[in-house]
Amino acid sequence: MQGLLPPLNDHNLPWMDTIHPIVVHFVIAMAVISVLFDVAGVVLRKPNLFEVSFWNLLVATVAIFVAIIFGQVEAGLAQPYGGASEILNLHSTLGWSLAGVLAVLSGWRYVVRGRDPRQLPLPFLAAGGVLLVLVTIQVALGNQLIWTYGLHTVPVVEATREGLV
Amino acid sequence: MAPESLLATTPIEQLAPYLGSNHLPYGVPIHPNLVHFTIGLFVIAITFDVAAALYPLERRVFRFLALPVTRAGLHDVGWYNLLACAVVSFFTVAAGFFEMLLADPLPGVQSALGLGSATTMVWHGVGGVLLLLVIVLMTVWRGYQRFVWRREMGRQVQWLYLLIGLALFPIFGLHGTLGAELAAEFGVHIRADQLLAAGADLREALP
Repeated sequence: MQGLLPPLNDHNLPWMDTIHPIVVHFVIAMAVISVLFDVAGVVLRKPNLFEVSFWNLLVATVAIFVAIIFGQVEAGLAQPYGGASEILNLHSTLGWSLAGVLAVLSGWRYVVRGRDPRQLPLPFLAAGGVLLVLVTIQVALGNQLIWTYGLHTVPVVEATREGLV
Repeated sequence: MAPESLLATTPIEQLAPYLGSNHLPYGVPIHPNLVHFTIGLFVIAITFDVAAALYPLERRVFRFLALPVTRAGLHDVGWYNLLACAVVSFFTVAAGFFEMLLADPLPGVQSALGLGSATTMVWHGVGGVLLLLVIVLMTVWRGYQRFVWRREMGRQVQWLYLLIGLALFPIFGLHGTLGAELAAEFGVHIRADQLLAAGADLREALP
């Protein structure tokens, strides 16, 4: 795999900086806002917010696969140490699971919207709540990898190369 | 409240008793988590307004995909996402300033863009406020187009609005790069980087 990539820099990456955290903007923001606009649509009786939710959910679903592709490459180069290995495993597993969850929700929503775009069944709203919980856990795990363990940051990569970690 | 003996010291020394090894009074920084929303919502808002503006060209593609679409629906995404972006971005900037007050960038580092930590923080801090202003102005402009000037029109936005929106993408990208460098190169609020700089052994400090 590494033969396919450019040489690694001081972030232990073949490109300037981590790309995964940029792509996840479009998973986190779109998934969360989709649920929030669904709730707002129900509470405020504004069905055109359901359309906004639908498109945001679709963007999140497409984006998560791109996030996983970069996430897998960057995880493979992350050189996790201590507790970071276990967290990275959990983050990867939950990431793939969320891709499945988002794909199922998108499919379900496509059918719901096809029947009546101005009605949202309450079970879908509940599923949105589950999505919100899963995304929150996934974000918390990712936060640990960067803000606690500093994976792919210059000082940690340097220390790892010197065998200090 | 800080003990009185601390009041004669520098601001960062006054706050020191409340801060962890990441120089924050809590576990992980808040600003980078809010940034997901500012950038994601802005980029998708502009993208969907572009898609709505070019709707006549895409109609057949959507029909081919059996994906029912209305132009008004695409514009709704452009408007509501931008509105949400404007709201959340005040919190993004507020959290950013709080966490920048507590920042302790590693000394002797030059970023990939060739800047030192102070220059990077000044650009990212001042630039962040200016970008918040731009987001708010774009939202007001978008609102006038939606509710006043182009109320009766199929294409709800002016081409100039879309052009400026797209031109802001690389500016957001550069701005985000400065922020990413503050973390991944200057080690700001990263526990492992700060511990390493303090001479700790990560095998013991972060098991």
